[in-house]
Amino acid sequence: MTSALSGRRVLVVEDEFIVAWNLEDMLAELGCVVVGPAARIDQALVMIDTGAIDMALLDINLDGLASYPVADALAARSVPYAFTTGYEGDNMRVGYQTSPVLRKPFHPSELVATLTRLLTKDQ
Amino acid sequence: MKKTRAKSKGQKGAEAKVEGFRQNLGPFVVAAETTRMPMVFTDAREPGHPIVFANDSLLALTGYDREGLLGQGIDVLLAGAGEAETAGLVDAAFDAASGSELEVRCRRKDGGLFWAAIIVSPVRDEAGNVLQHFASLVDLTRHMQEEDHLRFLLDELNHRTQNTLATVQAIAVQTLRGHAAPDVVEAFQGRILALSKAHRLLGRENWNAVSLRDLLDQILQPFGLDRDANSHFTVEGPIVHLPPKTALTFAVVFHELATNAAKYGALSNNAVGQIDISWQIEVVGEADRLRLVWREIGGPPVSPPSRRGFGSRLIERGLAQELNGEVKLDYLPAGLVCRIVMPLEPWLGERA
Repeated sequence: MTSALSGRRVLVVEDEFIVAWNLEDMLAELGCVVVGPAARIDQALVMIDTGAIDMALLDINLDGLASYPVADALAARSVPYAFTTGYEGDNMRVGYQTSPVLRKPFHPSELVATLTRLLTKDQ
Repeated sequence: MKKTRAKSKGQKGAEAKVEGFRQNLGPFVVAAETTRMPMVFTDAREPGHPIVFANDSLLALTGYDREGLLGQGIDVLLAGAGEAETAGLVDAAFDAASGSELEVRCRRKDGGLFWAAIIVSPVRDEAGNVLQHFASLVDLTRHMQEEDHLRFLLDELNHRTQNTLATVQAIAVQTLRGHAAPDVVEAFQGRILALSKAHRLLGRENWNAVSLRDLLDQILQPFGLDRDANSHFTVEGPIVHLPPKTALTFAVVFHELATNAAKYGALSNNAVGQIDISWQIEVVGEADRLRLVWREIGGPPVSPPSRRGFGSRLIERGLAQELNGEVKLDYLPAGLVCRIVMPLEPWLGERA
């Protein structure tokens, strides 16, 4: 399961640096290559434009701004992504409700399950 | 066009009727006119329930003047006039044999919208025929706004709690990395995540109460509990709702039990064993009592631990001190049995 994730380039969009840092470590342990982390929408958009990305993990709330523009940019390039959020419930905007959601905080095994799901979706 | 004609015709009749009211019911008319509760009377014998009386509060609330309102159908006050759904609600309220209430969006003269509860009662003559309807309005705008605001604050609080727990997890993992054994990091992480799951369930239920079954599903899911598949767990018991404090303690306790089972008990050694969880409610006088048994079988032979670890102290103290319960951990050779007996507040909410 993990080996399928090995070498995948994963964009991390997360505004809380220590949470991003921890996520980077989790991904490194899975053998993924971390792109970013981006803390702001404009940073993420530049990374999407310039770098090769296989998958993305996208914090919905970036310091008060919703990261849907980043989701749109990823979708336009057919890059599978999952939202990460501390929010609970059905407050996802219409049009994005089918995207996988990883609820923070999460265990590394939940991260593996979500990334694997993204990978299968991609194929 | 039709409205204007109806108005002038209706208005004449309306004025005559109010005059009749005045003579028959002098003090009541004064009371109705001056009360702060917005109210109208409508004519039941004309189509569309034309308004025959409106008090000052209603005029203030809706922005109409009396001449502009009298004779108009009740629809003039409703934002959804002409829509089937609103029409259905209005018909049901006005056709009811006794008083009824509807919550609808209303429209002021200036087009502004507000939510109102409209309480409608038929007014009958001596023969029992409905002559008029009496309708009073309660402006719910403020109430709705407060509810929205409360909902927003609660969402925000839940969100911040989860983000803070994510930060705590990250700080702990980063601090301990390289300085503590991986299983220590894992144990800490597991406990924080169990707490987070209980908070999430409580947040979903607006901090009212969560079902024991839902809590078990959440906490034991990482250990292989799956409602839809054969798993190493059987769970059986009546519907029980746990108050927030109990839910949080239980989350931590079940997480510890499962972790212990994965390390040494029924879920160790590639999970050859089985965990049966069952409970009953006893009614003892005014209070309920929960009796829960966690029974492990089929794992490797069990012997009592040589030393009380954090996990077993957490189970025993958490239940005894926080929930006024009794807990007994029996390290039987066939497997651990944990018995929990604790008082439970009777659940007063709706059963989901």
